[in-house]
Amino acid sequence: MPKHIVRLIALMVAGLALGLIAKWFFTVESFYEYGHYRANSVPEIAAQEPAYKTARYCQSCHSERHAQWSANNHKTVNCETCHGAAKGHPQKAKLTIPADTRKLCTLCHEAMPGRPRTQPQIALTQHSGGQQCVVCHNPHAPKLAGVVAKMAGDAAAGSKKHAASCASCHGAAGISPNDTWPNLAGQNAAYLVRILGAYKSGDQTDVMMSPIAKTLSDADVQNLAAYYAGLSCKAAPSEGRAGDAGAGKALAKNCAACHGETGIASNPAWPKLAGQRAGYLVNALKAFRAGLRKDPMMAGVTRGLSDADIANLAAYYAAQSCEPVTQARKTQ
Amino acid sequence: MKQETISSLVARRAFLRKIGRAATCAGAIATAGALGVTQKVAAKSEPASSRGSFPTPDYDWTKRRWGFGVDATKCIGCLRCVEACKRENNVPADAHHFNTWVERYVYLEGEAKARVDSQADPQNVAASGSEKEYRFDNRYQDSKVEKAFFVPKLCNQCEHPPCVQVCPTGATYKTKDGVVLIDSKYCIGCQYCVQACPYGARYFNVRTRVTQKCYWCYHRITKGLQPACVEACPVGARIFGDRNDPQSPISLFIRNNRVQVLRPETGNAPNVFYVGIDKEVG
Amino acid sequence: MIEHVAEIAAFSGYVYPNETVVPWTVLITVYPYLTGLVAGAFTVSSLYQVFGMQRFKPVAHFALLTSLCLMLFVPMPLLLHLGHPERAFNAVITPHTTSAFAVFGYAAGFYIVLLMLECWFVFRPHMVQQAQQRSGPLGWLYRVLCMGSYDVSETAMRYDRKWIFALAVIGIPAAHGLHGYVGFVFGSLKSREWWSSDLMPAIFLFSAVISGTALLIVLYVVSCRLRRTVIDLECLKGLAYTLWGFLMFTLVLEGLEFASLVYRGREGIDVIMQYVTGPLLVPFFILQFGIGSLIPLVVLTFMISQGTTGRALIVGITVSAVLVLLAVLMMRWNVVIGGQEISKTGKGLLTYHPLIFGREGLVAAASVLAAPLAFLLLMVRLFPPWAEAPAASASPSPHAGAR
Repeated sequence: MPKHIVRLIALMVAGLALGLIAKWFFTVESFYEYGHYRANSVPEIAAQEPAYKTARYCQSCHSERHAQWSANNHKTVNCETCHGAAKGHPQKAKLTIPADTRKLCTLCHEAMPGRPRTQPQIALTQHSGGQQCVVCHNPHAPKLAGVVAKMAGDAAAGSKKHAASCASCHGAAGISPNDTWPNLAGQNAAYLVRILGAYKSGDQTDVMMSPIAKTLSDADVQNLAAYYAGLSCKAAPSEGRAGDAGAGKALAKNCAACHGETGIASNPAWPKLAGQRAGYLVNALKAFRAGLRKDPMMAGVTRGLSDADIANLAAYYAAQSCEPVTQARKTQ
Repeated sequence: MKQETISSLVARRAFLRKIGRAATCAGAIATAGALGVTQKVAAKSEPASSRGSFPTPDYDWTKRRWGFGVDATKCIGCLRCVEACKRENNVPADAHHFNTWVERYVYLEGEAKARVDSQADPQNVAASGSEKEYRFDNRYQDSKVEKAFFVPKLCNQCEHPPCVQVCPTGATYKTKDGVVLIDSKYCIGCQYCVQACPYGARYFNVRTRVTQKCYWCYHRITKGLQPACVEACPVGARIFGDRNDPQSPISLFIRNNRVQVLRPETGNAPNVFYVGIDKEVG
Repeated sequence: MIEHVAEIAAFSGYVYPNETVVPWTVLITVYPYLTGLVAGAFTVSSLYQVFGMQRFKPVAHFALLTSLCLMLFVPMPLLLHLGHPERAFNAVITPHTTSAFAVFGYAAGFYIVLLMLECWFVFRPHMVQQAQQRSGPLGWLYRVLCMGSYDVSETAMRYDRKWIFALAVIGIPAAHGLHGYVGFVFGSLKSREWWSSDLMPAIFLFSAVISGTALLIVLYVVSCRLRRTVIDLECLKGLAYTLWGFLMFTLVLEGLEFASLVYRGREGIDVIMQYVTGPLLVPFFILQFGIGSLIPLVVLTFMISQGTTGRALIVGITVSAVLVLLAVLMMRWNVVIGGQEISKTGKGLLTYHPLIFGREGLVAAASVLAAPLAFLLLMVRLFPPWAEAPAASASPSPHAGAR
């Protein structure tokens, strides 16, 4: 065989051997161990840190909120679905409290063809009048505590019932004679219906109110509410307060979403606080804080309040005019 | 421990020698087919016993067989799953890369074919105001809608994955517990797998320059967590679990419903089971 | 990120969200085009080396050299397209045998070696001569290539001829296998109706042969002009016959493929028809079929039946060849890009806009096409394939002499 062919064959054999050695040398570790892939890539992928930590992770710090959430309708909506992934929280990252709830809540609740009928849906334009959803709904317990009942009360009949059963404590014109009992004049009818209903059903108890409420018929409740709502609250006397209304004003910003800036609630299901008796307000807030009065929203917001805070808030609201906001500002 | 390492090293040597020999034969024949045979032989000599539990000390992939269910009758199209997935898996935050997405099918009165859109539709992007947030616009609110529904989509982790079949390097593969993974350190970025997937589940990540797709949050399920989309779904439209456990949510879902899969005619045998979709969903 | 935004394809109807970034760009149309030219050029060389068709002798060595130059650049478009070109060897180190792409590394490597060997044997007498005459770096290069053996005795040459024949024989299935497999890359995918066809490898093969032959016609005519030598009309006519015959096959196959696609009318055919009669009208029917295929077919048929000769024949064949080169390029485009413009949903269409610059832009694609030709220019100087040309021009045609 000619020399060049021998050399060529030698070169080819050398090349092939070199190629095989290269293939052996460069085959990465753990390849072929379980199949045609790098086995080590499996633990590498499995080792990634999850971003979403689940509700159990949140529970360890936010147990009360967790308890409320897990007992209510939104229990299928996990914490991180609205607040974002908890990875890095609380050490590095703060989680968001969604600001634009109209945008967030409508992702699920905007009436839309294709959504199952079982899904609660609203036509945004007809539902809230442009307000944020959290004005009325507690996202952790979204079902309204008091459904706004139809107001069909007869104020005249209510007036008679008042004279017979209530006036002795709440005053002839619905203005309480002392600091401990609430003024009823000018209060939202829907709120009154709800709260009387709660006394009647036993959801809320009070040594004085419970027995009286149990004697009231549903019609009585409606009539009374209509009567009080129609009364003028102007006569409410302002008196010396223990708290600092200025400090209370700052705190009241946290309440404004539901109760209005000066305590005039935007939703009739929530009570007006403006011009209310300070002592009554203090007692009510303390009752919420202690869990004696049961309301998921109020339990949450009162948890962090000190006695001084409560006194300041009460002083602030008691000093406000129960008339609409614009006039209240002028009088100050 | 030390002994274990050494024994695994010895095993590796022996095993590599084996490949070497096998490849020598194969090289001589110089046909790809022969290579396939020898590799199958080589793959069988795995030193798995030296590992203990794999892939993590707390998780043994031979014990599980994961499955995924989608109940389209429950889906409300809120797209929380899509956003959760993007966050969980570092999916590029735009309208062109998704591990999971949601389709909306709307039959208007008098129209034979469904109108289909997803959150990536420009109109829906405009409604959300950003490519990083997702929502369906309400374009059909004033139309006469005959039938409408939402369908979540994700990687089907097929029993016979065409993406794995075409991958030239072995950078994508099916695990023993039934998930198709991508080895992002080994992928060359040829995107053949992107072409091969009939469901459009794969995409090329411009930043990492490798292919990416849904992997049922393998890093979560091996830690006992649910995939992020399942975690985020507020209505239980996504069901996940171990099919080896007859009482797992997915086993119950498959047993109690007449489930179907997408594009069965491809022979890929998907492992995502659907309830409540209809003819035009593919 | 700008690069990314530019690659977003517009769409109509419904497409999967991930489809708006077209995965395979213009570079992947260049890749099968190049392999096709390789296979075609090699076929012509084999017609002489294996089948003993003497009329192809003037271009046989040139065809081989062309094939090699093109083949060396075939991996270029793929490497440019890869997300991680530095990992390209993973496909060779751990080839996944079920993947058509994994075969590429080995098939292409094998074929490049085969081409280099055949070229080495073919040009060995020239190399030996140069190695002994030349000095300087070029002489050094030739001496290295000769591997220190200057044996050009009759015995040695007999060995060489045997090797050349054997290599050419192996090369036929290798070249066509390599290109048929490119068709398989597309035809085997069940995800795209436009690609999924058993005829795809055959279509790629036949179009490869016509594109390679056409390229040789053009290069041969141009090179004769540059070298101011006469064109061997017999050879050119032989190339024209090859082009003519295979063009007919290609057209029939493409027609059959399209007919069966439409006739089967599977899911998504509505969108395919919408595509074919809309965006594909110009590139498919007018450029690929009309201008690129039918006109050359008619011209060649006319000239062959009329026995045209001389300058008219040269012009006619050259023009036909240029048109065929365009047709095959359009065919690659229509397959690769067309398949991706039809959504996998079967409910929508996308529009791919190639980038001009950038790694996967038109400039890069054009460079990849031009580079092997530039390299060929260099190689022709190092290894003149026309060495035996004077023998062919011993009996020049009177018409050819006019040039």
